[in-house]
Amino acid sequence: MSPIAFSIALVLALGSFSSILGRRALKLFSAAPAARFDHLGERLKITAIYAFGQKKFLRGEQPAGLMHAFIFWGFMTLGLTVVTLFGRAFDADFYIPLLHPGQPLGDAYTLLRDVIQVTVVIAVTYALYRRLIQHTPRLFGFQPAEKRLHDEPHWEGILILFLILGIMGGSLIHEGARLVLFAGEHRTETERGWEPVSNLVSHLIPGSAAHTMTYVGFWMHNLIVLTFLNLLPLSKHFHIITAIPNVFFGSLRPRGQLSKPDPGKPDDFTWKQVLDMYSCTECGRCSAVCPATASGSPLAPRQLILDLRDDFLGRTERTDDKIVSDEVLWSCTTCMACVEACPVGIEHVPTIIQGRRKLVDQGAMEPMLQDTLQNFAQQGNSYGKSSRMRARWAKGLDFKIPDARKEHVKYLWFVGDFASFDERSQEASRRIAKILHHAGVSFGMLYEAERNAGNDVRRIGEEGLFELLVEQNMEAFAGAEFDAIFTTDPHSLNTLKNEYSEFGEMKPVYHYTELLVELIESGEIALSEPVGSKVTYHDPCYLARYNRITDAPRRLLGAVGAELLEMPRNGTNTFCCGAGGGRIWMDDSKLVERPSEQRVKEAAALGDLDYFVVTCPKDLAMYSDAAATVGVDFQVLEVSALVEQAMGLRDDGAVLAGDAA
Amino acid sequence: MQIIVPMQQTVDLVEELELNDDGTGVEREYLKFVANEWDEQALEEALLLKEAAGGSVTVVGIDETDVDGTLFSALAKGADRAVKLTGDFENGISSHQRAAILAAWLGTQEFDLVMVGVQSPEDLDGQTGVILANLLDTAHVSVAIGVEPHEGGVKVRQEFGGGTVHELALSGRAVVGVQAATAAPRYVSISRVRAAMQDSPLETLPAADVDAPTGTTVRRLYAPESSSHAEMLEGDADAVAARILEIVRERGIVKELS
Repeated sequence: MSPIAFSIALVLALGSFSSILGRRALKLFSAAPAARFDHLGERLKITAIYAFGQKKFLRGEQPAGLMHAFIFWGFMTLGLTVVTLFGRAFDADFYIPLLHPGQPLGDAYTLLRDVIQVTVVIAVTYALYRRLIQHTPRLFGFQPAEKRLHDEPHWEGILILFLILGIMGGSLIHEGARLVLFAGEHRTETERGWEPVSNLVSHLIPGSAAHTMTYVGFWMHNLIVLTFLNLLPLSKHFHIITAIPNVFFGSLRPRGQLSKPDPGKPDDFTWKQVLDMYSCTECGRCSAVCPATASGSPLAPRQLILDLRDDFLGRTERTDDKIVSDEVLWSCTTCMACVEACPVGIEHVPTIIQGRRKLVDQGAMEPMLQDTLQNFAQQGNSYGKSSRMRARWAKGLDFKIPDARKEHVKYLWFVGDFASFDERSQEASRRIAKILHHAGVSFGMLYEAERNAGNDVRRIGEEGLFELLVEQNMEAFAGAEFDAIFTTDPHSLNTLKNEYSEFGEMKPVYHYTELLVELIESGEIALSEPVGSKVTYHDPCYLARYNRITDAPRRLLGAVGAELLEMPRNGTNTFCCGAGGGRIWMDDSKLVERPSEQRVKEAAALGDLDYFVVTCPKDLAMYSDAAATVGVDFQVLEVSALVEQAMGLRDDGAVLAGDAA
Repeated sequence: MQIIVPMQQTVDLVEELELNDDGTGVEREYLKFVANEWDEQALEEALLLKEAAGGSVTVVGIDETDVDGTLFSALAKGADRAVKLTGDFENGISSHQRAAILAAWLGTQEFDLVMVGVQSPEDLDGQTGVILANLLDTAHVSVAIGVEPHEGGVKVRQEFGGGTVHELALSGRAVVGVQAATAAPRYVSISRVRAAMQDSPLETLPAADVDAPTGTTVRRLYAPESSSHAEMLEGDADAVAARILEIVRERGIVKELS
């Protein structure tokens, strides 16, 4: 079928495609290096799960996720159809070897192709419905951060969808016409049995037009495929080419472990960051879960990646040297929801932190944050208090917590700044100390030798200060005797567990909920008075999303007898309180509605609730304030209060709500 | 413009202060020392002035506890030279002594302007800049809240009570006591401070041996003591005035000529 005409079209199209692709590839190869060729087996595994298995689509929002998965699997199969129809240019009866009608694989392929083409048509029609009729907010940009996206036409996505419909239609017409043209032949009749949809189409084609229609279908399919191919690198549909490699080259480091800046070119993008920009499909799953976007800050992760991409490709004119404004970079809470949501493996948060490192180097930050960093540097805590005051909260106890620098303890309690200095959290710290003391657990502290662990300092972008704090803490660890660390602070847990080992040898690190639940389940803590309170539980980002600790706190709530009502966003899908990444030391008065207030309302919508339970000192502060601002019927409670009650340890005789008094 | 900024170390006020055994000063042994915040202001203003007018900034510190960190931090912020005058100064230095040491060293230096913090939290007489200007025999402006280049010299803004601002033009050598810089002191990242420690050594030379009596000695240092309760004066203006006069007489605050 028209071998010469098709050859010309093919050569032109492939020539143009390779030239565009070549330019993109050159830009990619000239980017800074990134070590992403290690652990190939593991990389193949994540590619199988997240790219070919479409895991994030199947787990995420529906039915959009299923819709994408079917289109993706359709494309995988239909690659064979493209080869077949290209081949028909040169041999009107071309079949891929082993896929001839009558051969087992051939018949299976015929059936699969036929069914998948219809599935793709249905899925694409649904996609068009979302864009043209339903106006799904995610596809139209979130305000105010995605204003630019909002202003731009959406014809690109719509055009591509129509092109896909055209490709499916062309193939169905071609196959249908062949069934008419070669009717009665044994091979055709075999094929007919395996392609019910093409067979239906064949009934619409009169015998006189069959010959022409094979050509119409052939050209329609092939020309659209070639056009589509050339549009890919020019549009967001470039992800069809780059997404699978982007998943393959994804980060294999623990989620909570940042890379050190490249000492030579700290500001340059690596080729993996460039591949991130190429891979963004503008789906907006990141912006939809972003607490900064939701609270009306200027940051939306999708917009950030698109701004970087457009600048990288020279599509935008720079007005000054700032592609992304300082406010956008400082808005991030580093909660990692965007990275978790992105189906194509884009790593937004490390890119934001890279930008912040440059700002810190220039000293471009708000005064409150600058003061806080100076406090860290001089006093080792965010409060700017003398390190000798760090353990003062323990003075109200009727026993002395051992000094791990002077005697061997089983557990070293890394208390963290908030639990040491914040008044509300100090009360929780004393309670936890009491519980552990009562249970006879061997534990101690570093007293004034403890410094802030540096988790948030590193995420503010002050790498040198982070390293200084690590050195100071490592020195303190070296001077103490202990078997393991536990901490009441998820932020400290994250860096101690994932990042300190890059600076020296570390003992195992646990969250206190893990320790408490283990003590209860092993019988070392006996619970005599189950609490009957109705509670909901907020997963801290650095515990749940970063470190996958979602089970221990829930087992703890079960053990004390609380009735747990889950918020819609729970576990690794939790919603940030807004305090992370140094945000707690920045001005949040410009936000339309703080993330913590939105979260409290999410809990309030559960109905009858006694407590909003937290396991992070920053959460206790954030949510106590938010609950007061919003005005709700439940209280914010740190989890050990329930444990204390269940142990019958409350000395004031007070009973928690929901209990039969 | 060649600017010199003397940096002083003072007690970190977040620490709990204790008196020494004879009750004449704070116990210095267990305390942490940080840069005097007014000197940080002076350094910032000096750096801004250098950025506006060109020239260089030299910081000079006397060998007080942890002065190295302060000097390296200044280098990281943009100072061109850092000088440390060594000696045994663990027990603190009076303003007279400090000014005399600095003046001796400044005598060997070329400079246009000395910018120094107008005071420090532990200054007894708060006059380092004034004494220094006297020893160097230069012009002196105190309580400056802004210094900018002006016709080869500088223009200095001074603030007075009630929002009055005074602008002075200075030509020739001068000592300026800085109350506040035009912008908040800049942040310098720890990486830059560490880089400065590696790349830019401090110039060290012995501090001059000076004999500079202060004229005053501390007899007793103590925490504020609450005195007798306040007496609220009531009645009309005449009655209140009469009572005030009575109190002044009772306490012998004014001497009446007979």
